[in-house]
Amino acid sequence: MTAALLELRGLTGGYPPVSVFRDVNLTIKPGEHVGFFGPNGHGKTTLLKTIAGVLDPWDGGIYFEGNRLNAEGAMQARVSHNLNYDLFRKRRIKARDVVDAGLIYVMQGNLLFPEMTVEEVLDIAPRAARGRPGVGQMRRQIHDLFPRLRERWQSKVRYLSGGERQMVSIAVGLLAMPRLLMLDEPTLGLSPKLRIELSQAVQNIRETGVPLIIVDQNVEFLTSLVDRLILFDHGTVTREIPAENMPDHAQLMEMMFGGAH
Amino acid sequence: MAFDTFMFILMSGILLGGLYALMATGLAVVWTTLGVFNFAHGAFVTLGAYVAWQVTQPVAGGFGFMIAVLMSVTVMFCLGFVLHFALIKPFERNQNVVLLAVISTLAAASIIENGVLLTWGPRDKQITPPIGSRINFFGASINAFDFVILAVALLALFALALFLRRTTMGRTLRAAAQNREAAELMGLDVPRLFAITLGISAATAALAGIFVGSLRFINPSFGADPLMKSLIVVILGGVARFTSPIYAAFVVGIAESFSAYFLGLYWSPALLFAMMIAVLLIKPEGLFGHRSKTL
Ligand SMILES: Nc1ncnc2c1ncn2[C@@H]1O[C@H](COP(=O)(O)OP(=O)(O)OP(=O)(O)O)[C@@H](O)[C@H]1O
Ligand SMILES: [Mg+2]
Repeated sequence: MTAALLELRGLTGGYPPVSVFRDVNLTIKPGEHVGFFGPNGHGKTTLLKTIAGVLDPWDGGIYFEGNRLNAEGAMQARVSHNLNYDLFRKRRIKARDVVDAGLIYVMQGNLLFPEMTVEEVLDIAPRAARGRPGVGQMRRQIHDLFPRLRERWQSKVRYLSGGERQMVSIAVGLLAMPRLLMLDEPTLGLSPKLRIELSQAVQNIRETGVPLIIVDQNVEFLTSLVDRLILFDHGTVTREIPAENMPDHAQLMEMMFGGAH
Repeated sequence: MAFDTFMFILMSGILLGGLYALMATGLAVVWTTLGVFNFAHGAFVTLGAYVAWQVTQPVAGGFGFMIAVLMSVTVMFCLGFVLHFALIKPFERNQNVVLLAVISTLAAASIIENGVLLTWGPRDKQITPPIGSRINFFGASINAFDFVILAVALLALFALALFLRRTTMGRTLRAAAQNREAAELMGLDVPRLFAITLGISAATAALAGIFVGSLRFINPSFGADPLMKSLIVVILGGVARFTSPIYAAFVVGIAESFSAYFLGLYWSPALLFAMMIAVLLIKPEGLFGHRSKTL
């Protein structure tokens, strides 16, 4: 068996003191494209943000290409409300280490940098690549993937449409030369036409061999792009469905809610 | 009023405006990036002037004005960089970070001021200006050095704007200011970028302090007035664009110099505060812009 690309072992986390996801175990193999599906507000974004190092995991391990990204052991509960507790509390995972490792997260509904132009944003994005090769080629590829962005090159991100902003976010993720790219609800708020356009772009990214984790509420979009579908419910992985028997929307609802819908 | 008197008052107002622009921009850059008001900014102005004064003294080698400027600006950049980790970073995860930073920067201001008092004593000092000649400007006799100060202040601001817009490093600073989380997910070292911002701010404060110190006298508490004026400028102009506080600085400088002539020195702060309150009532986001903060 080849080594796992990303492995989560008993990962638990949330927004203290509210726990959002519990005991998540998951293995993603190199070259795999995985979809996450689950109801709103059940912790998919929280899980991805924890993996990306924005939030501290409470317990469990995050391993990427065999290396542990977070600190060992469980997070201590807050002991004092009087002292400046933050001064003594170390972060248990650093976003920079995660980016260094090549694990790149594209945020849900990302506002990016509202006062910067598309050109400026894409100029600083390769900083995250940390010298991984291929940035020049990726720049050219982005023009082909998102021809729309060409026309908006000098616009501030603030003036972009939701779809265009999503494209910039994904382009930023790609310029980091990811070894695994996590897309959080890329189709959120997009028109059907734009969704098809984006779906084509993600398909092209997939063909370049970048492993993907895609979280989305749109079943058709998701099933057309991934090799494996993971159902995420009440803060934990409830089911994994291989590519052979990808369900459609109705079947999926049946699986998740037991025919109540 | 004679035309030459008018020109004289206008020119001294413009010079004052240039100095305020330099100081207020330093304050505004920290506010838009770190999200806190730095009440030690006035102390940076003071310390910057004293460091430059020391460098020009025979005991320290009696270097020239240019060397003194370079030394002081470098020292203050380093101090600003280090102080970020002492004054602001320890509280950045606290929800009351703005309030805590008010207290920690006020504390730093007090420590710096008293440190200056202990080191250099309470007596007034002056940095010898490198140019002493006067020139006739539309009938008004004006210090040639005033024009140099104005030009250097504007040039420094222009260079800072260019740095923020055109260089990759400047762009990463703006990115960290606009969306910290997204900047972290891009692998940027946000605390280091914030420290650099405070360093740049301290360096501009030092430059302003040296200029003030070569126009007037310096003493350990002379930074309090520049701090207050910078606050007025930032509130008056807003921080919607990089240039907003710069315009406001000239408005304040010219208003101050005319009110000092017509109403007397004691009334000009009252007038400035009245202007500030009027603007806060009518256009709380500042005269020059419509959004609250950007860079
Ligand atoms: N910053 C926050 N502080 C506290 N609680 C939060 C915060 N953000 C989200 N939550 C809560 O955490 C839970 C999980 O939210 P999360 O955004 O991870 O869900 P999600 O599965 O990504 O939903 P969606 O499909 O709508 O994006 C929700 O109950 C939400 O209210
Ligand atoms: Mg989400």
